[in-house]
Amino acid sequence: MRTLLKNGRILDPSQDLDIIGSLLMEDDQIVDYGDIGEPDADETYDCTGLWITPGLVDMHVHLREPGSEHKETIVSGTQAAAAGGYTTICCMPNTRPPLDNPALVDFILDRAASPEAGGVFVAPVGALTKGMKGHELSDLAALKKAGIVAASDEEFPIQNAMVMTQAMEFCVQLDLPIMAHCEDTSLTEGGSMNEGAMSAMLGLKGIPRSAEEIAVMRNCILALHTGCQLHIMRVSTWGAVEMIRQAKFLGAPVTCEICPLHFSFTDENVGEFDTRFKILPPLRTQVDIDLIVQALNDGTIDCIASDHSPHASHEVDVPFEEAPFGTAQLESAVALTLTNLTHKGILSPLETIRKLSTKPAEVLRLDAGTLRPGDTPVAQVAVIDPNLEWVFDKHKTFSKSKNTPVHGMTLKGKVMLTFCGSEIYRDALFSDERYSIA
Amino acid sequence: MERNLIGIRHLERDDIEDLIALSADFKLRVLEDRPLPVLSKKVVGMLFFENSTRTRVSFEQAAHYLGLKTANFTAGSSSMSKGETLKDTILTLRYERLNALVIRHRLSGAPSLAARHFGGPVVNAGDGQHEHPTQALGDALTILERKGSIEGLRVAIVGDVEHSRVARSNAWLLSKLGAEVRFVGPRTLIPPHAMMLPGKVFYDLATGIEGADVIITLRLQKERMAEGLLSSIGEYAAMYQVNRETMRFASPSVLVMHPGPLNRGVEVDDVAADGERSAITSQIENGIFVRMAAFAWTFGEDATAKAKPLSKKA
Repeated sequence: MRTLLKNGRILDPSQDLDIIGSLLMEDDQIVDYGDIGEPDADETYDCTGLWITPGLVDMHVHLREPGSEHKETIVSGTQAAAAGGYTTICCMPNTRPPLDNPALVDFILDRAASPEAGGVFVAPVGALTKGMKGHELSDLAALKKAGIVAASDEEFPIQNAMVMTQAMEFCVQLDLPIMAHCEDTSLTEGGSMNEGAMSAMLGLKGIPRSAEEIAVMRNCILALHTGCQLHIMRVSTWGAVEMIRQAKFLGAPVTCEICPLHFSFTDENVGEFDTRFKILPPLRTQVDIDLIVQALNDGTIDCIASDHSPHASHEVDVPFEEAPFGTAQLESAVALTLTNLTHKGILSPLETIRKLSTKPAEVLRLDAGTLRPGDTPVAQVAVIDPNLEWVFDKHKTFSKSKNTPVHGMTLKGKVMLTFCGSEIYRDALFSDERYSIA
Repeated sequence: MERNLIGIRHLERDDIEDLIALSADFKLRVLEDRPLPVLSKKVVGMLFFENSTRTRVSFEQAAHYLGLKTANFTAGSSSMSKGETLKDTILTLRYERLNALVIRHRLSGAPSLAARHFGGPVVNAGDGQHEHPTQALGDALTILERKGSIEGLRVAIVGDVEHSRVARSNAWLLSKLGAEVRFVGPRTLIPPHAMMLPGKVFYDLATGIEGADVIITLRLQKERMAEGLLSSIGEYAAMYQVNRETMRFASPSVLVMHPGPLNRGVEVDDVAADGERSAITSQIENGIFVRMAAFAWTFGEDATAKAKPLSKKA
C-alpha cells in the first residue's frame, strides 16, 4: 500500500525544511519526500496549498481514564487527538486513582493500543509523588521502566521545597524530566479567576500572578542547582515568562509550554461568570498576551500544548466558583494557534510546527516530531489546510466533553488528514471537490 | 416585559432612576394607605441559600404589600442538601410554576445562573461578594430623601470593600448617578485590584471622609482577623471607626449609613449609629419599598404605577 501526498508545503522543523514537494508512504513508513516527481501510489492526495508536517505532539492532555470516564476515555480522547492532528500525546497523571504505579501505566498503554482507540501514541506522565500528595516520591524507577516519559504532580504541585529538591535529584539519576504546574497554593486558595479588575468587579476571589511566578522561580532555581530537566507547564503571566528567560540565560535546563487559550483570551472573557473561561492558571490580561506573543516569537516559550481538560456539561453548568478548571481543547488547539499566531505573523509556518511537534518531542525525547524515515517507529504525518476558514462546532467533536469556549468561533486553519502508521483521521471537508482527491 | 435584577452594574442610569421613582411612589401609597398594584396571581420563590432574616423579611413584606404569594425555600431543608445542583433546583421551581425568584447565595454569580435557567424574573438578594442591588437602591432612596439629589455628593464607603457586595452595588449606583465615590479602609481590605471599582481609594479615614456628605460604613466580618487581613478588632476600630470624633472630618450635615447588622463599637459607635446624622432606620424601612419596586419592575408592571419623574426632595 503506497500513499502519496502530492504537491504540498513540506514543513519539517527537525531538518529546518520548508519546501514544496510530495511525500510517499509505503505501508506504515515514510519512504521518500521532497522533489520526488509523481511515483505510482495506491492513493494520491492532492495537497496543493496544504501543509505536510510531522504528526503533532501534545505534551499535555487529560484523558481522564481511569476514574472519570464520564468526561473522557482513552478511546474518545485519542480519537479527538487524531482529529486534532496529533500522533503522540502525553496523558496526565491526575486520574482516579492517580498514575503512581506501573500497573496503571500498563493499563493506559493497553487501552491506547486497542483497535477502537484513535491510533495515536500515548506517552504517559507519571505522578511525581504517591497519590500526588506532595510528600513521598512515587516509585519512579519502576514507572519509568513501565513507560512514563516524565513525572508531574500536575494540578497538585509540590509545595515543600525540600520534597521538590529530592524529587529533582532522583529524576536526575533516572534521567526523567519533571513537568511542573507552577502554583504557590498558599496564595490561591479559594481563587477562581485572575486577580484583577474583572475579579474585583465580579466579586470573585482572585488568583494572583505572584502565585505562579513564585513557583516558577523556585522551580527554576532548584533545576539550576540540581541539574534536573524541568518543563514548566502552561505559563500564563509575562512575569513567569521573564523568569524562565532568566533561568535559561543562567543555564538552567528549563523549557516551557503555553496553551492556546492563554494567548487567545483574557480574563475579560469571563464576562458574566462564564465557566467556559475558567482555566488554570487563569486567563490573564492583554498585557500578558502581548509579552507572551513576543516570547513565543523569540523562542523563550518552547512548546504549545493543548491542556485538553474535558469536563461533563453538568459539572460546568454551576456557579463559577464551583466549576472545575479546564476546557476540552484537543480539536481546536491547532486552529487557535494558526488563527492567533501564524496568521498574525507571530510564528512562521515552520516555527508553528516546531512548537506543536518537533520541540515537544525533543523535550520529552519522544520518537516523533520529524518526517525523517526511521526516526519514528511508524510514519507520523499531519496534513493541514492553513487557510480554511471554518466555524468550530462542539457537537462535531470526538471528545466526550463539550466544555469549550471556542464553540461558534470562526477559525482559520484546519487539520485535514492525520497518519500514524496508517490514516487515522480524515476531515469531512477533505472529501470536498476543492481538494480533488485523485 | 419581564426582566431580571441581577446587579446595579448592569443597569442604565434611566433604569436606576425608574426604580427609585417607583420606590418613592410605593412608599407614598403605603404611608398614605392609597391603592397599590395587585400582583396577586403571582407566586415568588424565596431562595435563601445563605441565612438572612432581615433581607428575607423585607422581601416578604414587599411581597405582602403587592399581594404576592411567597414560597419559601431554605438550603438546609431542601434537595440541595441531598446533592442536587443549583441548575436542577431552579428548573424544578420553574416547572412548579413559580413566577419569580428572589435568590441569595454565598457564591458570586449564582443569580446569573438561576436567571439562565428559570425563564422568569430573578431578583438578586445578595450573591457572594458580587452585588446586592436592592440594598443599594434602598440606600439611594434614603440619600435622596435626606439630600434631595445624588449628583455631586461626596460619598465615602468605609470598611471591607474587597469582601462587600454592598460596597460594589452602592459604588456602581452612586457613581452612575453622579456622586463622587470614595473607598476608605486598610490596604488589606481594599487591595490594588479593587481600585478598578468606580471610586477613589483612601487608606486614611480622616482624609477619606473629609467633607463627605454621606458615609456608608460596612460590616466587618470577624473572620477577617483569622485570615490575617487585620491585626485586631481594636486596631481596626482605632483606625476606621466612624464615631463622635471622626465624624467631624465629614460635612456637618453628613449622613451615616450602615447595611446592618451592626457591630457596635467596631465600625460605628453609638453616636454615629443612633444620633441625628444616622439614616440607618430609614435604610431598613426604605428597603421594603425598593423591593416592591424591584418586583413591579422585574414583572414589567411599571405601567400600573406610572413612575413619576425623580423627585428632588422627599
